[in-house]
Amino acid sequence: MPDTVVNLVDSPALGVLIGIAGVMAALTVNVLFLVWLERKVSAWIQRRMGPTEVGPFGMLQTIADMLKLISKQLITPRHVDKPLYHIAPVFVFVPVVAAASLFPFDEHVSLQNLDIGLVLVFAFGGLGIVGIFMAGWGSNNKYALLGAMRAVAQNISYEIPLILSTLSVVLMVNAMGDANTNGMNLAQVASMQHDKGFWFVLVQPVAAVIYFIAALAETNRAPFDIPEAESELVAGFHTEYSGMRFALFFFAEYSNMFIVAMVATVLFFGGWSGPLLPGAMWFFLKTYAIVFVMIWIRWTFPRLRFDQLMSFCWLVLIPLSILNLLVTAFIARAV
Amino acid sequence: MGGMTGLLMALAVAGALLAVSLKNVLHAIFGLAVTLLAVAGLFVVLGSPFVGTMQVLIYVGGITVAMVFAVMLSTVVQTHQAESPWRRAGAAFVAVGFAVGVGLVIIGAGLPKGLAPALIEDAWSVRQLGTSLLGDYNVVFEVLSVVLLLAIIGAIVISRREEDVVTPAPAAAVEETHP
Repeated sequence: MPDTVVNLVDSPALGVLIGIAGVMAALTVNVLFLVWLERKVSAWIQRRMGPTEVGPFGMLQTIADMLKLISKQLITPRHVDKPLYHIAPVFVFVPVVAAASLFPFDEHVSLQNLDIGLVLVFAFGGLGIVGIFMAGWGSNNKYALLGAMRAVAQNISYEIPLILSTLSVVLMVNAMGDANTNGMNLAQVASMQHDKGFWFVLVQPVAAVIYFIAALAETNRAPFDIPEAESELVAGFHTEYSGMRFALFFFAEYSNMFIVAMVATVLFFGGWSGPLLPGAMWFFLKTYAIVFVMIWIRWTFPRLRFDQLMSFCWLVLIPLSILNLLVTAFIARAV
Repeated sequence: MGGMTGLLMALAVAGALLAVSLKNVLHAIFGLAVTLLAVAGLFVVLGSPFVGTMQVLIYVGGITVAMVFAVMLSTVVQTHQAESPWRRAGAAFVAVGFAVGVGLVIIGAGLPKGLAPALIEDAWSVRQLGTSLLGDYNVVFEVLSVVLLLAIIGAIVISRREEDVVTPAPAAAVEETHP
């Protein structure tokens, strides 16, 4: 793997450290931007102004907010389950950073170019759930526990259509490529779309739609934001967290949104491929466009009821994604 | 054996000790999660990142979460009841017997010493694993899926019976009034 940033420096440990620091810095700036974007877009949709005071268009507002969160006292409620309560934010935060380091930002630019990149992204996504549950349980608060229970049920259910929908793309890439092609390698999926000259959303529209819906649910975004439904659960699993600990949850949430958007960009929208502009520009333009749609949906649709959420997943999305996978397999075999 | 392997092995043992010694069931489950993560790390160090990833995806992200979920749905989390010495002795007997049995099988199998076989290039790649799973070990693979199917059916049977007792007919009527 000569084309990865980690391998540019001589010492592997140093490379990994530089990579982690870089990813964390990039994610932090990105979260600050996304929070600002979310507030602005929601304001536009509701005919408000949004943040205007700090910096041009209020862009520095989130930096001020972050400084406030950093400087706040960390309050630990008296009857929390201390070990779980303290580990939970870390457990939510670390997998996000790890998953974010797996993407090909440009033709030969990625921190890690792994053959199992796609599976690894989902594996790290699954780890985050454990952290969410630790938080909900450790808080010793009924709203937090209810939020965590909902989050766990929702996440393990929607993980199935999420993975099945991406699997049909993997299958297709393997069928289209030669013996050395690996559909689970994110860089190869992107470059295959570049070589073939079309985006996979055109040949896998069903998978793309299923993926997008499941991704909304995986990131607990509206209309699937039941784990932290403000009107019934205060703030869900992070009710008892304040200051920087709360900020870590917030960070993970927005970064997760960005990660699922990056997966969608790579799998369905050609990754870095695009005319004129440099590849990385295209990659981030597409990713932010998908994130924008996610924000748009949040401020447009009302929240689902929990039973609706579960039955929609098990009765509609999972059968549909299995059907899509089967059809893809048959076509891949026939062609 | 590199320092990394030693560290991961120590982590795995520490997590396992936590899992069996902690009184709170949830703490024990998270101890188990540490063990499973460390084992995943061992797989990666031994040259099979794919199996390691699957370990994280299935065991940490799936099994642990399912166990946590089961605990969540039951009412008793912390047991304070004293266990009878006989039960402890029985458990110790089973545990030691199992460890000795597995040890004997491993020694008897005559596995090659060292880490070399797993580190052969591509021996554990996704493609190789897939080919052998659906080729040489096809029957085992299918039997495993039947076992999983049985587990699912069992879960449905258990939950159905409770549902019939707890919620009688009115649920459907509510559904009709609020379409």
